[in-house]
Amino acid sequence: MKSATEEKSLLRTFWEALSFSEIRTAMQVVLRHMFVKPVTFQYPREKRTIPDAHRGALGLLRYDDGVERCVGCDLCEAACPSRCIKVVSAENPAKPLTRIATEFYIDITKCVFCGYCVEACPVNALAMTKMYEYSTPDKRTLIFDKTRLYEVGEKHIDDAKRYLYAHNQEKNDSDSRAYRYKFPHTVTAPRPDP
Amino acid sequence: MALKPVTTPDVEAPSIELTIDGHPARTRAGVSLYDVISETGKIVPAMCYHYTFDPFGSCGMCLVMVEGKKAPVRSCTAKAEAGLIVRTLGDDLFAARKKAVEKHLSIHPLDCPVCDADGHCELQDMAFQHGVTNLVNAKPKGLPEDRRSLVLDFNMNRCILCGECINICKDVQMIDALQFFKKEGTTHVVAKGDNALECEFCGDCLAVCPVGAITNKYSKYIYKPWQLKKTTTTCNYCADGCQLHIETSGRDVQRVTSPLSWKNKWGDRAETAKGHGGLCVLGRFGFQYIDSKDRLTTPLVKTDEGLVPLSWYDAVTLIKERLTVIKAQHGANAIAGLITARCTNEEHYLFQKLMRAAIGTNQLDSSARYGYLNFTRAMQHAVGVGRLMNSYEEITKAKVLLLIGTDITETNPITGLRVKEALRVYGGTVIVADWAVTNIAKLASHPLLISPGGDGWFIKGLVKAVLDGDLVDEAAIGAAPKAFAALKKAVESMSWETITAFAGTSKESITEAARIYAEAATAVILCGEGVIRREHGYDGILNLVDLAWVTGKLTRPGCGINALPEEANEQGAVDMGVAPELLPGQASYADPDMRGKFERAWNVTLPVGPLASGSLMEILERCRSGQIKALYLVGENPLATLPANSGVREALEKVEFLISQDPYLTESGRLAHVVLPASTSAEKEGTFTDLQGKVNRVRQALELGDEARPDWEIFSAIGSLLGYPMDYEHPNAIQSEIMKLLPGYNNLGERLPVVASPGRYLNDDYVDEVAGRYRQDEGGAIERPFALVMGQVLYHHGKLSTRASGLTVLYPNKGALQMHPDDLARLQVGDKDAVRVQSAHGALDMKAEANATLGLGTCFFPEHFNEPPVKDLMDCVTDPVTGVPSFKLTRVSIEKIPSGTL
Repeated sequence: MKSATEEKSLLRTFWEALSFSEIRTAMQVVLRHMFVKPVTFQYPREKRTIPDAHRGALGLLRYDDGVERCVGCDLCEAACPSRCIKVVSAENPAKPLTRIATEFYIDITKCVFCGYCVEACPVNALAMTKMYEYSTPDKRTLIFDKTRLYEVGEKHIDDAKRYLYAHNQEKNDSDSRAYRYKFPHTVTAPRPDP
Repeated sequence: MALKPVTTPDVEAPSIELTIDGHPARTRAGVSLYDVISETGKIVPAMCYHYTFDPFGSCGMCLVMVEGKKAPVRSCTAKAEAGLIVRTLGDDLFAARKKAVEKHLSIHPLDCPVCDADGHCELQDMAFQHGVTNLVNAKPKGLPEDRRSLVLDFNMNRCILCGECINICKDVQMIDALQFFKKEGTTHVVAKGDNALECEFCGDCLAVCPVGAITNKYSKYIYKPWQLKKTTTTCNYCADGCQLHIETSGRDVQRVTSPLSWKNKWGDRAETAKGHGGLCVLGRFGFQYIDSKDRLTTPLVKTDEGLVPLSWYDAVTLIKERLTVIKAQHGANAIAGLITARCTNEEHYLFQKLMRAAIGTNQLDSSARYGYLNFTRAMQHAVGVGRLMNSYEEITKAKVLLLIGTDITETNPITGLRVKEALRVYGGTVIVADWAVTNIAKLASHPLLISPGGDGWFIKGLVKAVLDGDLVDEAAIGAAPKAFAALKKAVESMSWETITAFAGTSKESITEAARIYAEAATAVILCGEGVIRREHGYDGILNLVDLAWVTGKLTRPGCGINALPEEANEQGAVDMGVAPELLPGQASYADPDMRGKFERAWNVTLPVGPLASGSLMEILERCRSGQIKALYLVGENPLATLPANSGVREALEKVEFLISQDPYLTESGRLAHVVLPASTSAEKEGTFTDLQGKVNRVRQALELGDEARPDWEIFSAIGSLLGYPMDYEHPNAIQSEIMKLLPGYNNLGERLPVVASPGRYLNDDYVDEVAGRYRQDEGGAIERPFALVMGQVLYHHGKLSTRASGLTVLYPNKGALQMHPDDLARLQVGDKDAVRVQSAHGALDMKAEANATLGLGTCFFPEHFNEPPVKDLMDCVTDPVTGVPSFKLTRVSIEKIPSGTL
């Protein structure tokens, strides 16, 4: 059996070559797409809108009065499946009887962005942000220490709060606490929604 | 609540039968229902229960249904009765228990994330098990934390008032330092009288606290239980052989915990006779010496600029070269070695093998020479085995305990607990004869205050009282009539006037003590430093053997003579033959057959001859005379131990080549030519033999930092370099060699029973020597009015504990001489005034402080401190038989000096 191209007559081939029909077909596609909205983004000039529940870089948060939320309980360290968190805690020398984290490290190269640490945190000191740009030629800078984590938290405070809200961590309605312990208000003071 | 029948075997309790969840169970009437249930293997939750003390019944968790009762009953305080039908499971019981948890939680602060007990909290476990997720009326107490104690913080917000801390302190420790106290509208647990906690700081309250109400100041807020690596090892302070859990994160020791814990709450009360699993202040709070900043980090060599770092390769090569040269020039007898009894059995074995086989000298000794060898030599001679005759269980269950010259709660606190349990639970009679009113004397039924150094005379008085009162056991003396006649003749030569004058107590009290001892069904003698570390210590033990023998208590089961060793492995050092007169397995070095056995095993000829052997004082004497050119000190620090007048400094300075192998740079180490950094027992593997004769494992809790090495590794390196094959991969290899040579030493955890066989001892030699032990003419005229005693205190042990910051906080060196307040008043010395202490060896100006527990005419200084150098005032007398130096007691005169001269 002969194929269609082989059946094409010599005259027709000659005519198509003369009239640039292939270019015409290609130009038709180009012209048609000139009036269609593009699907790609011009990163980094253009950035995508990221949903609130997005799991990006971790940051540490402070209360509105500037006090560190973290109490150095080491629960995030215990919850972390990739073992990338290290917390060193001690008694707060400025305020006896309280516990603080004197050092806090997250090895972002190991982090799998599961968000378990945020879920484990009893005081919502950890939150995930929408920050994802921290590529570097030096991998050593990817071990975030306490200062860096607080910087991230401060810079992305709104995103962090939205993350906590989206993950039902800072809501006080009954749905959000379906899988959490319920304690009366004398124990857990309600927090204002962001 | 009455005692459980298991602990009072004399009380006859009828055997009864009851039904638990449909299954029949058999027990004795009067036992707590909770115990019966837990014996069947069922676990009913209970937060205030611990098997070491009587049920308290405060938590309301151990609810069970008893047929015939409408409401659930607390099983711990209910007693087993015949025919009870008990149900432990059911939704109604679950709901009732859940209600109890909610009740506790409603006043408990939910600060788990910051609480040290998080993850190791019974209330947390109970809330999880019972699914408590909703609290309606929570009212945390909002109290401030009680931080007055030096070691423990009491957070009464978290307290669930289970009373475990109070009960263990009262019932097990018999200290009774804690109490419930109502203030600020709630009940608190506070130290007696709502003061700062002042107790023995054993920390058992911390161990049994099921929540985070009692926290350890030394490790507060710096860890969570799950972050720590837990290693079970043996304590290396005293010889009680306590098992402890060293909890580390990386190279840091965070805390030490005990097998006693609220988690191990189920057990048989009768088992506590073998030990309750707790620790004392040394074990629990004195761990900082392990990661102390004073640790040596590299080998050092002496140069003109002082001690400078050196590599390990150069250090051991230097040692090899110098030892080879000295051996070639002066013979092997110019080399000697001393080792501390804080090393493991494997290291002791290897050390004596290095000295005897690789170097070829029998001049070696361990710190057991400072007293314990008086006991083991005497017991070997008289009984056949140089070891304590009784186990913890026998001590606990003895009807009469005779404690002579031992402040047992200070030197061996956990063995002291066995005496306390004998008193409290088993109703034993305890006779305490010591030169101070010690803590155990305050509890004892028959406390006797004797004069310092009068312990030997007290023993002679006991023997005389037994013979005078005809309290002898006919069967025992009938077996050796000749020996008994000789003893009787010897004892008759002593007059009661001399005995009472030297012993410092009346004839009546000695006779009474002798009568109680002789008439007891089982009687155990415990003696300590007052006997074995004094002049004539060896004779004192033999006199105790006489006492036990004539009263028929030498061979009777449950009776015996025991002396408390000081350091952790003194028994092991003796068993491994680290003494010139002993081979491993306590075999006699003088016996050619035994030597032959080891010569074949080690493939060497063992050195013999008068100059080849030497014990501690002989070694130091030969160092001074220049016969010994090289001295190898392993963890030993004779310069800080022996008084200056014994010539120890001259000896160490005269030695041409001094090696100090120690975790720290000691006083003796500063004189050394080579200093090798060794490891502490927390960083090596091996075994310790405790005072009962149990062989306990020592496990490596943390990696060795810097360049410190375990002692066994250093010995095998030096031995191999000297051309004797000593290649060992691991202490286990050394252990298998020990097992091969000493069959029976491998039964780890089991105590070797001691069966006395005095038949061979009570022969003609006994007849000859016994008269010498009961001489009338001992002791000269007393010139100086005061007796100065150096002894141990609870918070310290040897010199090691002074490197543990946790203990120096509790007991710092005050540099003050302790005297009775009446003596101070008589000398018109105010508290903290200065005195001049004058002995035959010099004078010393120091502060004085009152201590009402001392007798009149006695003063005391803790032996752990050398600032001011009180030890240099001491006489040093060497025992003619055992070569044990005694230097803890001397006579001094004391006068007041103008204040401001210090």
